[in-house]
Amino acid sequence: MKTKAAAPSEKFRTFALVFSLTAVVVYVLCDLLKLPLFTYHPATGRVEWGHALPRRGEGPVMYWYGWLLTTLIAASVMGLLATLLPERVTRRVPLAALWMLPIVAVPIMAYTLMSFWTK
Amino acid sequence: MDFSVFDYISVNTFWTILFIIHALFAVALLGALTHQAVSVLLPVRAPAAGFMTRFRAVPGAGYATAICVLWVITFLMGAWIYIKYRVYIRIPLERAGFWKTQGFFELKEHLATIGLGLLPAYWYLWKNKAPDYESARKWVTVVLAAFCWFAFLVGHVVNNTRGFGS
Repeated sequence: MKTKAAAPSEKFRTFALVFSLTAVVVYVLCDLLKLPLFTYHPATGRVEWGHALPRRGEGPVMYWYGWLLTTLIAASVMGLLATLLPERVTRRVPLAALWMLPIVAVPIMAYTLMSFWTK
Repeated sequence: MDFSVFDYISVNTFWTILFIIHALFAVALLGALTHQAVSVLLPVRAPAAGFMTRFRAVPGAGYATAICVLWVITFLMGAWIYIKYRVYIRIPLERAGFWKTQGFFELKEHLATIGLGLLPAYWYLWKNKAPDYESARKWVTVVLAAFCWFAFLVGHVVNNTRGFGS
């Protein structure tokens, strides 16, 4: 028997839109405010909570994995919390922000890399 | 008996294979996203005739799930080889003074991550044909395609500058 594919639910709509909007904002803030959940030392495999500086003789540090995890957790929590709100509120999420925020994020992210452009 | 892949191939070969897999997924993603972005920017109203028209005439909705899967796989492969990049590629690039090359690579990582965050909304917009979503669907797709092109080209240039095993 042929069945019609179910459209994603209203709650999924809310989760998806809020997740995506939050992810862009949180990721940019993580980079700007140095907020990785953890710091990874690739030469030694050491993992430290939060923002840690390179250790003498242990090579560079990587914050990107920490920013990524911070972003995924924060966006998931915000998306789930948003599903608890009434539909008349969640329907007000501006769809245009989904593509405008990433475009706005580009020059901000480029600015955070200023040390690379000016050397 | 302990099995180690490094009994059969060198460390450099191993990371080169991973990079090639990452690059191949990126090619597939780039092709799919480009098709989809062109189909929403220049939709075909009449039956297809000619290469460019047929290029624009793809049913974009059918690409959405594949694009999400390809973005995630490409991202995960990139995240894996990023560890080696940081130690074995970036440090020599720093010593050689390729600062702008590294800057663009860092920007590529940022845009790939932002693109990853957009995927749930992107997928939802494509799976719902409501006219209210048409504009957001179009521009989110175009933004993702632009990010993908940027990431692909920067990755290509960085690999030309110093690839795994060089």
